[in-house]
Amino acid sequence: MSIKLTTEQIEQIKRHGEETYPEECGGLLLGVIENGARVISEVLPLKNIRQDSRHNRVELNPLDYARAEREAAKRGLGVWGYYHSHPNHPAVPSKFDQDYAPFTEWSYLIVSVHDGKAQELRAWTLREDRSQFDEEEMI
Amino acid sequence: MPTISIPTALRQYVGGQAAINVQGDKIGAALTSLTAQFPDLKKHLFDANGKLRNFVNIYVNDEDIRYQQSEDTPIKESDEISIIPSIAGGAASEAEVLARAASPELNKEEIARYSRHLIMPEVGMEGQRKLKAASILLIGAGGLGSPLGLYLAAAGVGRLGIVDFDVVDHSNLQRQIIHGTKDVGRPKLQSAKDRLSDVNPHVQIDGYELALRSDNALEIIKDYDVVIDGTDNFQTRYLANDASVLLGKPNVYGSIFRFDGQASVFYPKGGGPCYRCLYPEPPPPGLVPSCAEGGVLGILPGIIGVIQATEAVKLIIGQGEPLIGRLLLFDALKMKFKELKLRRNPECPLCGDQPTIKELIDYDQFCGITPPVAQPPVAETSDWEITPVELKQRLDHGDQVTIIDVREPNEWQISNLENYGSRLIPLGQFADHVNELNREEEIVLHCKMGGRSAKAYEILKKAGFTKIKNLKGGILAWADQVDRSMPKY
Repeated sequence: MSIKLTTEQIEQIKRHGEETYPEECGGLLLGVIENGARVISEVLPLKNIRQDSRHNRVELNPLDYARAEREAAKRGLGVWGYYHSHPNHPAVPSKFDQDYAPFTEWSYLIVSVHDGKAQELRAWTLREDRSQFDEEEMI
Repeated sequence: MPTISIPTALRQYVGGQAAINVQGDKIGAALTSLTAQFPDLKKHLFDANGKLRNFVNIYVNDEDIRYQQSEDTPIKESDEISIIPSIAGGAASEAEVLARAASPELNKEEIARYSRHLIMPEVGMEGQRKLKAASILLIGAGGLGSPLGLYLAAAGVGRLGIVDFDVVDHSNLQRQIIHGTKDVGRPKLQSAKDRLSDVNPHVQIDGYELALRSDNALEIIKDYDVVIDGTDNFQTRYLANDASVLLGKPNVYGSIFRFDGQASVFYPKGGGPCYRCLYPEPPPPGLVPSCAEGGVLGILPGIIGVIQATEAVKLIIGQGEPLIGRLLLFDALKMKFKELKLRRNPECPLCGDQPTIKELIDYDQFCGITPPVAQPPVAETSDWEITPVELKQRLDHGDQVTIIDVREPNEWQISNLENYGSRLIPLGQFADHVNELNREEEIVLHCKMGGRSAKAYEILKKAGFTKIKNLKGGILAWADQVDRSMPKY
């Protein structure tokens, strides 16, 4: 699958990463599946609820997720992925990301923020057998 | 009928629906009803052992069932059940990056040495290499440190740091099996290094012949992956705990007293409590006796120390269930293990939701230990004490002195001053016998080393006695300075 994002949405994610630097940020991606691609209508920034290690760990509140699903449903959208930042670290999923990724049907977006400036945003999908991530095309 | 709402990503397995009606008065039944209707969904929610996958949370209204009765949580018609994923991510930690980059190779000799580890799938080459890449800090090379050091070196841990400034004493040999008779008088660190190098020459042993304190703890601990607390005093326990939590290191805890032991792993980062969650305040000084005062079955630290070593190895190779959030209690006399669940205290000043402790503190002050007052030179005695030599002189001179021994009966059996008319009144019963004593007599109080008798001195002083003295250094000092033939313990 590929993932469709507008330039504004990419900027929105990059800005969130820059705002929370040097801590990690996280948020959800709302959209639909159209013609075999995840088309994102909305980027939903959320709060990192981790109490410690916020510079290299992010955790989202399950109740925020529940609310996001309800909001998305009202607008005919679904939650199709989430994004987070890697301060001073490449936009590549870590073992931690792999161990904690919930769904193989999701897009995982990672933005690398170096010294306060967002670098690249890359998209990834988790294989069915959860053995590794493959890069996803962003269109 | 209750309904379960399905997250977007899993709707394809339930025919595209966002919410499914289910039957059942408990969560377990409701989930079974769900997967019975949609078998494809099952493997996305449950693992091969039929347990909910760790990222799957089930909420009834706004409550996670894990904090209710899990699968037995009751549900009503009007309840909203939601399947909500845990979402977490993060960059590789420095330790992860280091471990992967530096995953050390094992040579032929090491492979032969660790063969009994390598042939078990839970360890294997990967686990053994993780051990070789690991650095573990042992605070104390005594009762707990001995089995810890021996077994961790044998297991092939790459680097062992040992903090101990003490010297080997005869009374250590009953339990500190890393030291031998030939080591009496040597620094424990040197003795430990020699023994461990013999057990496994591949282990790098870094010694710190000093006392761990607030001004050196963070610097020493930061380069280690796991901290193991083998200390014998509360100040160092709190210091080790605080430093470990501040640096994000797991602290493998063990303690022993007479015939009882405890073990746990304090690791708030791993979801559990820290030492302060369990014991927010230290006991008043003098309340909990040390091994020297209360005694300990020599074998006991062997058991607890090896439990600590086991937990450290499990943390490093990532296998099994660690004692995070669990306090293991061991009673050697009954030969029983018990376990208590421990939760992180959200109000813990160190690891809670709003921590107030962000640096190391003065632990002596915290534990109520007043710093030792500058001692006058040995030749002088302050008014309240009498040295053994002085006491002997007085007795030889024919002075009437009443000697009261405040130790325990089993200590009396080892050695006593009965020949000089000494009388045994154990400290615990001392207050009850005060009115049997004659204020007009000269009374000298003694115990093993001078601590307990000082307390008895206070009791008599408060009762208005004036002709009282404490035997400085206790019966051990008497054995050193007056009667060399007397056994020491």
